[in-house]
Amino acid sequence: MASVSLQALRKSYDGKTDILAGIDLEIAHGEFVVLVGPSGCGKSTLLRMLCGLEEISGGDMLIGDQVVNHLPPAERGIAMVFQSYALYPHMTVYQNMAFGLKVAGKDKAQIRERVERAAATLKIGHLLERLPRELSGGQRQRVAIGRAIVREPRLFLFDEPLSNLDAALRVQTRLEIAKLHRQLDATIVYVTHDQVEAMTLGDKIVVMHEGHIQQAGTPLDLYQQPRNLFVAGFIGSPRMNFMAGSVVSAQAGGVLVQLASGELVRAAVDGSALAAGAAVTLGLRAEHISESDSGSEQFKGEVSVVEHLGEANYIYVSRKGGEDVVIRGDGERHVAIGQSIVFSADSTAFHVFDERGQALRRLRPGNMVSAARSMMRSA
Amino acid sequence: MTVIAMKPEYPVTPVAPAQAGSTRIDFGRLMVHAALLAYTALALFPIALILINSVKTRAAIFDDPLALPSMESLTFGGFVKVIDSTNFLHYFGNSLIVTLLALFCIVLFGAMASWALSEYRFMGNRLLTLFLALGIMIPIRLGTVSILELMVRLDLVNTLTALVLVYTAQGLPLAVMILSEFMRQVPAELKDAARCDGVGEVKIFFQVILPLIRPAIATVAVFTMIPAWNDLWFPLILAPSESTRTVTLGVQQFIGQYVTDWNSVLAALSLAVIPMLILYALFSRQLIRGLTAGAVK
Amino acid sequence: MKHAVHTVRPWQLVLFLAPALLVYTLFSAMPLAQTLAQGFFSADENGKAVYAGLENFRTILLDPDWSAGFWNAMVNNARFFAIHMLLQNPIGLALATLFSLKGLRGARTYRTLIFLPTLLSVVIIGFIWQLILSPLWGVGEKLMGFAGLAGLFAPWLGQEETALTTLSIVSVWQYIGMPMMLIYAALLAVPDEIIEAAHVEGAGAMRIFWQIKLPLIYPTLGLVTILTFVANFNAFDLIYSVKGALAGPNYSTDILGTLFYRTFFGYQAQVGNAYLGSAVATLMFLVILAGVGLYFVAVQRRLTRFAL
Repeated sequence: MASVSLQALRKSYDGKTDILAGIDLEIAHGEFVVLVGPSGCGKSTLLRMLCGLEEISGGDMLIGDQVVNHLPPAERGIAMVFQSYALYPHMTVYQNMAFGLKVAGKDKAQIRERVERAAATLKIGHLLERLPRELSGGQRQRVAIGRAIVREPRLFLFDEPLSNLDAALRVQTRLEIAKLHRQLDATIVYVTHDQVEAMTLGDKIVVMHEGHIQQAGTPLDLYQQPRNLFVAGFIGSPRMNFMAGSVVSAQAGGVLVQLASGELVRAAVDGSALAAGAAVTLGLRAEHISESDSGSEQFKGEVSVVEHLGEANYIYVSRKGGEDVVIRGDGERHVAIGQSIVFSADSTAFHVFDERGQALRRLRPGNMVSAARSMMRSA
Repeated sequence: MTVIAMKPEYPVTPVAPAQAGSTRIDFGRLMVHAALLAYTALALFPIALILINSVKTRAAIFDDPLALPSMESLTFGGFVKVIDSTNFLHYFGNSLIVTLLALFCIVLFGAMASWALSEYRFMGNRLLTLFLALGIMIPIRLGTVSILELMVRLDLVNTLTALVLVYTAQGLPLAVMILSEFMRQVPAELKDAARCDGVGEVKIFFQVILPLIRPAIATVAVFTMIPAWNDLWFPLILAPSESTRTVTLGVQQFIGQYVTDWNSVLAALSLAVIPMLILYALFSRQLIRGLTAGAVK
Repeated sequence: MKHAVHTVRPWQLVLFLAPALLVYTLFSAMPLAQTLAQGFFSADENGKAVYAGLENFRTILLDPDWSAGFWNAMVNNARFFAIHMLLQNPIGLALATLFSLKGLRGARTYRTLIFLPTLLSVVIIGFIWQLILSPLWGVGEKLMGFAGLAGLFAPWLGQEETALTTLSIVSVWQYIGMPMMLIYAALLAVPDEIIEAAHVEGAGAMRIFWQIKLPLIYPTLGLVTILTFVANFNAFDLIYSVKGALAGPNYSTDILGTLFYRTFFGYQAQVGNAYLGSAVATLMFLVILAGVGLYFVAVQRRLTRFAL
């Protein structure tokens, strides 16, 4: 397995507009890195550049300690699992998995040994003589993974492998990929648009938007300290509540914000860089709000929609003069539409973003019972 | 209620324009272009040769066949001869009438039959489909003997009608196959919705289905009009008279007659080719799209 | 989606089906059947049709006056087909493969231009090539001179040994557009990701072509073959317009289509014989049917269209 280093990587098709600009990323040996972001953010392009299917317009790409910018895919020591699996329709499963090894000139005995070993790992040994069209979606996916494994690459690349599977299969396969990672001690770069997949699988998550890396870090980092509005809104479901306001006073130990809807909120963030009167956005996650007045900062509003999930209620509250807010409430508690509701949160639960959308450092993130609970839920 | 626009701010380093991309001249690609250029030349030069020489004097044709016409050698005498001694425009009109009428009949009758065969389940459906499909493989010319006798009996010899009927019969099998495929792809909801509204089957066909299959008509046109226009056999056998002669037959007869008059021969060939070239220049995209669409059967 | 009969009335069905079936039956199916039937008749002394059993067929296949001509035409037709298979389809395949290369600039232009001859009338094409290859004009010789091969030039169209081959090549030159387009469409249908996957696994362009692309277009290649077969054994126009109904020199360019025409309608000294002509047509029909049948039974069964 190898490490990967991307230095000032750039991609542009016509020399004028950049699809990717200034990508810097370090991936350690054996790490599972997930590239995540909305459509068009450049994650697939980056993966294809890693693979060698797209030209690199600028910057350097190193696998191991080798600069691979101009190397063809086969010489980079990588293997890719495509979104639609890309199995050769006219070849059996065995032939599909053996193809790459045959190209590399391995002898028959070696090929058989490797293919059967990989098939055993993925539990598809009984399918070796079948054609792809005789397999289910999940089975085809395993063959695609098997095809990658037999080549014993330094680096595995996955391009949205779960998006063609139905929901139940997706969860199951997700677990298997996680297990495979540990089994093979593999360095993996994995692309997905689904933030839940990203959070559950990745050692390191790289959030991308419009060709730039917004933030890279562990799932918890991204959850607790999103660096800007985009990452904050992207990670976590339901999406973080945002409220506009302006600074009343700001010190290193905390910030007092006057919301546009009138409330005064104290947030436990480092406000030393802020000036009074500056425009800010407050962020508050649904799971950090309690349906009572127990928290230090208080709000009220009227319930407009309730989604009952059994394990929780998602309560949508409209506030006079302010933004709608969603609260994650106790699923076994009854909430009526139209009822007035008082809700609150601790000052340590808030995120504050300055006028450019950059986050201020939170002073005591994760220092709450509800935070611990939500961590366990998203795992 | 506005949230501050999520426009992330990151240091936007002014990006230097990409270096003139590594123009590593790909030798492989060069060879590909060379091969394609060579073949294109091979495909086009005979036609170009004819066109160039059709406006040269006889002497120039023989002395320097590969040269473009110069001021001295330029002449339209051949064209004049052709148009004078034959009824070329008339032939052209005949070809046009026959081809267009045949296309119309093929599309209309073919669509109606395709609709019935692909939409309704009835006894004999499969048999009829097979019956029609056979016509694709089995050439109609083999029945010429009987067709001629039939035309004689119907008193249709030397009429354009005979040609239209024959080309329609010839083009129907393939048209039915292409159109059936197409019609099967019309979403069932459209038809069911119309039926729910109480619209009769005939009306559904003319007002819902027919407009929807316009793309397929391009494909049908390619596969039926070209063979009909270029056909020599049936005009020769069924309608060789002067008044019903088609372009293809007319050119063939003319050349047979004036075989030593190179200038006129070349002019006749050019006159036959130029309309096709013009049509092709205008419609090549649709034509090729129609061809490849129908090919993936 | 088929619907129960009661949504369509019988009279409506008849309305839809009648015109097409009428025209097709009257002018295509019945004439063919009649021709097949007529082959079993011949004329008696008074010119009336009398049942003759297999007499006509025996005449054509075995009678020394006729059979030589028939078998000559058969062999020629087979050669005609063979040359097409050897040249038209491989070159068409090669061109289609080149067109389908990623990012080839001007691919559309090449395609459009190379397809042009296919659109033109066979008659026209025949004449054009006749002129080019004519020793009188000398263009052919001059062009070969550019390649230093002027000495090799000969009036191929006029020579017995080379006439058929030459005409076959002209026919290939013209019709190459059809297989080219059909194969091109099939190549387009091969998903990009499969090619990319092979590329990532280290396969070079040649290996990708032979081991990935080609196997996936076998059904189309089969279709092209059978279409070529039917077209070749049905051919007439080119030979007739270049060589006339006698298909000279010395019947060396005679194929089944010209034989049929000559037998039925007569030509110059030879009197037309409708019954023998019908017999020839029947034999042509059987040959084509045999080919098509062979294709469906042997080839189609083994070539499954892979779910791409």
